[in-house]
Amino acid sequence: MKPFRYERAGDAAAAIAMLSQEPAGAFLAGGTNLVDLMKLGVAQPQVLIDISHLPYNRVEPLDDGGVRIGAAVRNSDLAADRSIRARYPVLAQALLAGASGQLRNLATTGGNLLQRTRCVYFQDISKPCNKRQPGSGCPAREGYHRNLAILGASEACVATHPSDMAVALVALDAVVRVLGPKGERAIPLVHFHRLPGDEPQRDTVLEHGELITAVDLPPLAFATRSHYRKVRDRASYAFALLSVAAALDVAGGVVRDARIAFGGVAHVAWRASKAEAALRGQPATEEVFRRAADAELADARPLRDNAFKIPLARNTLVRTLLDLTQEENR
Amino acid sequence: MLREAEAGWPSAVSADLNAEHITLSDDEIRERMSGNLCRCAAYANIVPAIAEVTR
Repeated sequence: MKPFRYERAGDAAAAIAMLSQEPAGAFLAGGTNLVDLMKLGVAQPQVLIDISHLPYNRVEPLDDGGVRIGAAVRNSDLAADRSIRARYPVLAQALLAGASGQLRNLATTGGNLLQRTRCVYFQDISKPCNKRQPGSGCPAREGYHRNLAILGASEACVATHPSDMAVALVALDAVVRVLGPKGERAIPLVHFHRLPGDEPQRDTVLEHGELITAVDLPPLAFATRSHYRKVRDRASYAFALLSVAAALDVAGGVVRDARIAFGGVAHVAWRASKAEAALRGQPATEEVFRRAADAELADARPLRDNAFKIPLARNTLVRTLLDLTQEENR
Repeated sequence: MLREAEAGWPSAVSADLNAEHITLSDDEIRERMSGNLCRCAAYANIVPAIAEVTR
């Protein structure tokens, strides 16, 4: 691990000003991913600017009926929050499906969004990786990739985003609030993470010096009927091979509306807009659910060892939607 | 872990996210012990030992 300087920012403006002056600096919140990457030599910041104590640690109602989640709210506290559990169960379930209790106690909302891929080549500095070292190559295409992307990948990078939380948030139309040297901006989460293209080193559209202050959830009445289903190699404490976040509005056996996202399939939490469109106005039947999954997965381009994710995604989505439909009928 | 369950904090295996109180079944204990680096929830006597403390 390389030596680095540690600074504690007095407030958000100071933190932003400090990082803007430090091209090789990074914000430190929970540190559950960044510190690991520093130990591995993957991240080598010269200065860490601690922001974990800044006053963004509340979950509070918004005037429009939505909820504002402070960027420093710990994953454990967010999963246990009564309003989140009651109104957005898919989010509480996604958080609880991630990492372990110890990690969730430290990991923050903002940091969770900014965690890096767990692609083995990215994490191994003895190997080439276009994300870690642009232009060095991608051994994952021919190598170990059963956990990697089937949608939206590029020649340069087939990494997946590891967050469970982001999958639920992208299904719920979350908006990321950011403060930076040029002021404040609000970025819909669906545009916050980016596909790798030929710049896989950039996970998000954030500029250097910008600080996430909050994540806003718009009101969504039918999110009370939502679910997160995660498939992994172990029963617990493992990243998703595939996950589904879904909310379903069914009345009289017909789908009025739906929100769907996949995890473990792409460089981003993948909003399944084509599947949603295929569901609206259709009868809530297994056949319709299957067609909706196929509409989304028609674009999948699997690698040698991860084609299993296509039927896995289809079956997991169908099962999740059937469960939500049965909940409706009870 | 015992205090979290008393406070009604759910886990990934809790059937009712909004329950006031969580009963620590064997599955709940295993899930809440997962992530300990020793993976000691995998050893046969750990889960009964924790269950005994909750009684």
